[in-house]
Amino acid sequence: MDGVVSPKSVSLSLMSPPLPLGERFGLDAADLRKVLELALSSGGDFAEIYLERRGYDFVNMEEDIIKETAESVSLGLGVRVLRGGQTGFGYTNDLAPDKVRKAALTAAAIARGKARTRSARIRPRRSAADVYRVRQPADRAGLGKKIALVREAYEAARRFDRQIVKVKATFQDSRSDIAVLNSEGLSVRDIRPMVKLVCLAISEKGGQREFGFWGGGGRVGLEYFRDVLTPRTIGEQAAHEAVLLIEAVDAPAGEMPIVLAPGHSGVLIHEAVGHLLEADFNRKKTSIFWNKLGRTVGSELVTIYDDPTIPAYRGSYNVDDEGTRPRKTLLIEKGRVCGFLQDRLSAGLMKQALTGHGRRQDFSYAPIPRMANTYIERGEHSPEEILASVDRGFYVASLSGGQVEDSGKFTFSVSLGYLIEGGRLTAPVKQATLIGTNIDVLKRIEMAGSDLEFGLQTGTCSKEGQDVPVSDGCPTLKISKMTVGGRT
Amino acid sequence: MRAAAGPVRDENLTGLAEKLVSFARKCGADEAEVSLIDGLEFDVDIRKGKVEHLVEAGSRVCGIRVIKGRRTAYASSSDLAPETLCRLVRNAAKRAELASADEFAGLAPLSKKTIDPGALDLFDPSIAEIDSKTKIRLALETERIALGDKRITNSYGANFGTNEVRSVLANSNGFAGEYRQTYCELSVGLQAGETDDKVEDSWFSAKRRFRDLAPPEEVARRAVERTVRQLNPRKIRTRNVPVIFEPTQTSWLLAFLFGCVSGTAVYQKASFLAEKLGQRIGNANVTVFDDGLLPGKLGTRPFDSDGVPSQRTAVVEKGVLKNFLCNTYAARKLRLESTGNADGSGVSPNNFYLEPGTATAREIIGATKEGLLLIRTLGHGLNPVSGDISRGAFGLWIENGEVTFPVSEITISGNLGRILNGIEAVGSDLEFFSPVTGPTVKVAEMTVAGE
Repeated sequence: MDGVVSPKSVSLSLMSPPLPLGERFGLDAADLRKVLELALSSGGDFAEIYLERRGYDFVNMEEDIIKETAESVSLGLGVRVLRGGQTGFGYTNDLAPDKVRKAALTAAAIARGKARTRSARIRPRRSAADVYRVRQPADRAGLGKKIALVREAYEAARRFDRQIVKVKATFQDSRSDIAVLNSEGLSVRDIRPMVKLVCLAISEKGGQREFGFWGGGGRVGLEYFRDVLTPRTIGEQAAHEAVLLIEAVDAPAGEMPIVLAPGHSGVLIHEAVGHLLEADFNRKKTSIFWNKLGRTVGSELVTIYDDPTIPAYRGSYNVDDEGTRPRKTLLIEKGRVCGFLQDRLSAGLMKQALTGHGRRQDFSYAPIPRMANTYIERGEHSPEEILASVDRGFYVASLSGGQVEDSGKFTFSVSLGYLIEGGRLTAPVKQATLIGTNIDVLKRIEMAGSDLEFGLQTGTCSKEGQDVPVSDGCPTLKISKMTVGGRT
Repeated sequence: MRAAAGPVRDENLTGLAEKLVSFARKCGADEAEVSLIDGLEFDVDIRKGKVEHLVEAGSRVCGIRVIKGRRTAYASSSDLAPETLCRLVRNAAKRAELASADEFAGLAPLSKKTIDPGALDLFDPSIAEIDSKTKIRLALETERIALGDKRITNSYGANFGTNEVRSVLANSNGFAGEYRQTYCELSVGLQAGETDDKVEDSWFSAKRRFRDLAPPEEVARRAVERTVRQLNPRKIRTRNVPVIFEPTQTSWLLAFLFGCVSGTAVYQKASFLAEKLGQRIGNANVTVFDDGLLPGKLGTRPFDSDGVPSQRTAVVEKGVLKNFLCNTYAARKLRLESTGNADGSGVSPNNFYLEPGTATAREIIGATKEGLLLIRTLGHGLNPVSGDISRGAFGLWIENGEVTFPVSEITISGNLGRILNGIEAVGSDLEFFSPVTGPTVKVAEMTVAGE
């Protein structure tokens, strides 16, 4: 699946009037500079203001009815002060001057002394490129259009098969208007669109039930559901998976060769590699990678990037939540660790360049290093060759999520798999968890396909209580062995 | 001292909620409900003896539900400016017309019963009196004690946090109520071992009253013990064995059970227990309650988000499924009574726990010839539709009643239905360290996959 739409599309942020920063929030530039001065009044090295206004719409269909709609508004400001490796943070969702000053003073208190740094003159900056692809902005469309999308996905799933007993379809869209100003004079804004349509279908046969899930979206407009992925496909795919799983067998248990389908299996790269190359875990030396920069940890076939600049993708942005222009970042090249995903705090302490991966859930959190769109580069083998090379093994068709800890132990949950017998896919297999240690698994990647794809544009990553949208990609991959958590 | 900076105490938030409810009625709503949450958060992370991150802030959110001709619309806002709130109410009243008529939609009828929040012991005024230095010192002290153990090689840091929250709810059936609650938590996360062979774990204490919080020594000691016992793990051969769940693990098993007895999952047929009301779903060792009235506990509250008074509900009694846990909507769909579990438009647990038995954890381990003591899990792998479980696991191997060595890079798998029927022993060690909890339990057999 490819989320990129025609380059003719006009982006939201170019269409919006060039209002001065802060004014959209009822604060003028002089006020904001005063807030930064106040934030530095106890001797901080750096101060930053993050302003956010977010509008969000939601439509939910279940039990054959449009059950509810919701609208939400979030408005607020966070002030951050850095002093060495220390962070002071205050936030408020009341932009009255006294509340904003209080947030600044709270953040300022991380340092204890006299002001040492002055705030530079604020120079508004435009983001270099625009990675959003919106022709029909969801926030300007009537609710009726969104209801129609939900209904179409719902009904496609419902009529797909008689075994489908329940369906749930949900549409969400949001528009985040953010601004970042800091004491170095940076001032930048970004208006981020997001849409998502998902469908859950439940099948039943002889008292046994299973579910299937499908969906899509990204930093796009409603045209995506006509041009790239239709609601009908979303509904049918969810139902298809639910019906397949009814006939599926229990997963095998123990170590065996694994083949990962392209796209979805990017979750493996996200968990096994991405998180542990986030700079904070390496600065703190808790990640298994902290002492491995420049060292070879995986097979030659492994080249991994994180690229927040892929047009239209869910993990993309024009500037990160610290106002940094992001760049495509090489993490692992032919098995060798090349870099970390940086935010301002870690980059400063590690004396490395910014990569534009400082992200936050919303104004009430300080930014931390996060992934955006993470993927493993394509290889040379055809998917058929890869499959043919496995006599007995496990094929991972779709994944529902994963988790990792700093030691490199990671898991991912397979929602649909297949047995591989004699180089061919045979019986469908239901839910199983796979577990491994990242540096073992990276060494065991034996073949990489030429078929790089990204997974569903519906993913959300959680870290330290903060959720951010992400996407992952990978080609067909063969891992010589991993532990499959099935039953005997 | 910040006593005066707590959630605004004297402001008439209930009055504001009631005004918005009447405004919604004027905008054409048949029924309306408004909630207001006013919170104050303090949070300090320290690491390697230094303050790393300090947050202090107040925030508010308003939730709105409007019903018109049995059609529902929701709205929420963190911007409490009157013009924003009025616009959201007007929009919701209009938007409701676009939803479908739903005969089950509607507010809860006004209950004759009211519960005095004061009797539930949810609020500790002393939390507002703790100064920042004390909070920082508690975190520093906890980490310092933990790092004093030579086997600990790195720290994720220690955290001390407090929350004070005022919750207000009013609706057009005449309900108006509010309560205040406090929460404090002290935690530390640790690593042991060298870079390529690290193990990690953490411990915490979370309470409503500051004086009930475990002291730094205890939090540090338990975090150290939990971490170092995993050093030098082995991988084991794939096999079927008894699995003993530590209380932290019983806790997720219970959370999974909650997901399967939630009225929402049941009417959506998204639970393998959907048709099992009144039937045996486990053996006689399994008795589970949901209790919103236990004084001072983390899951206690006087009323749910529909304004329904909290109660104690038997969920499973000696293996028989007695009740699904419902909000007003799910109860109407299932022709049951609400159990006071509403949370926004969904359902959440109050204090949801497995009744303890009489054996100590040591006795349960002692009676196990060969098996796995499950101490941590990684990943999701829980499917309420089928009851299937498959998760990454860390544990201690048991042979002849003794813990012998740690194991890692394994998975456990089974099915919740079979697990509930195979609970051989239930420990006496129930602690309410979180709202969903249980004691040590021994499950007769699960598949442990390794090599």
